[in-house]
Amino acid sequence: MILELIAAGLVVSACLAIYLDEAVYSITSLACMFFLMAILYALNGAVFVAVFQLAVSAGTLAVLFLAGEMLSEKPEREKPLKKIFSVALLAAVFSLPSIFLSVAVTPANIFSGFSFADALWNLRVIDVILQGLVIMTVALGVAIVLHERKEGES
Amino acid sequence: MDYIILSVTLLAVGIYGLLTKRHLVKVLISIEIIAMAASMNFVLLASSANRALGEAFLVLAFSTDACVTAIVLALLVIVTKKYGTCDIRKLAEMERSADEEQPTLAAES
Repeated sequence: MILELIAAGLVVSACLAIYLDEAVYSITSLACMFFLMAILYALNGAVFVAVFQLAVSAGTLAVLFLAGEMLSEKPEREKPLKKIFSVALLAAVFSLPSIFLSVAVTPANIFSGFSFADALWNLRVIDVILQGLVIMTVALGVAIVLHERKEGES
Repeated sequence: MDYIILSVTLLAVGIYGLLTKRHLVKVLISIEIIAMAASMNFVLLASSANRALGEAFLVLAFSTDACVTAIVLALLVIVTKKYGTCDIRKLAEMERSADEEQPTLAAES
């Protein structure tokens, strides 16, 4: 029962994060979604991922709060509460297929029997490739910012 | 309870936001939701099949996701400072009008 409630909560908070105009409310709704997702991971036995999810989402949300508050203008008129509730209700209806329907999935025949630590530390190729990807993304971001700054000066 | 359908629902919500919202912060939130849907699929399928590889992969995917968010936010701040708006359509209009003005200026000179 609790998993079904979390699934409904996930879809409702995702819909509200998109629908609400005010950035602070929208990001609060996104925070609820991150939190519910971490609980879902923990309940499914992926406790390490849940902890990582919480840590990463805390940073993301802090930055998003700052950026959202800094960059968004206040909406001229607030959306009526009735409309917000109807969107939440619609989102709850959208979550029903995931609760009542099911799709047959056959797990692929790939490596099995790894523990989390084995998978994380012994398969260095994946680790190296992904860390390289992260470094390249950061380098790209720095290059874009420097290029913009140079263009702004000239 | 089927996590694939839940993941597809979240993906649909994210794509809807990406296509309909004009504010750049909302677009970023939509991207976050899409990334979240993809990672949820990974983690829950891996943990239901008792395979830790998917979980380990996700830890690294989270860091990539955080990098993407940081870069998009940096670009967002630059764009807002430069053009004074976060509205995608206004930004597109500005670019279009700048493109139209450039050939006229070139012809005059």
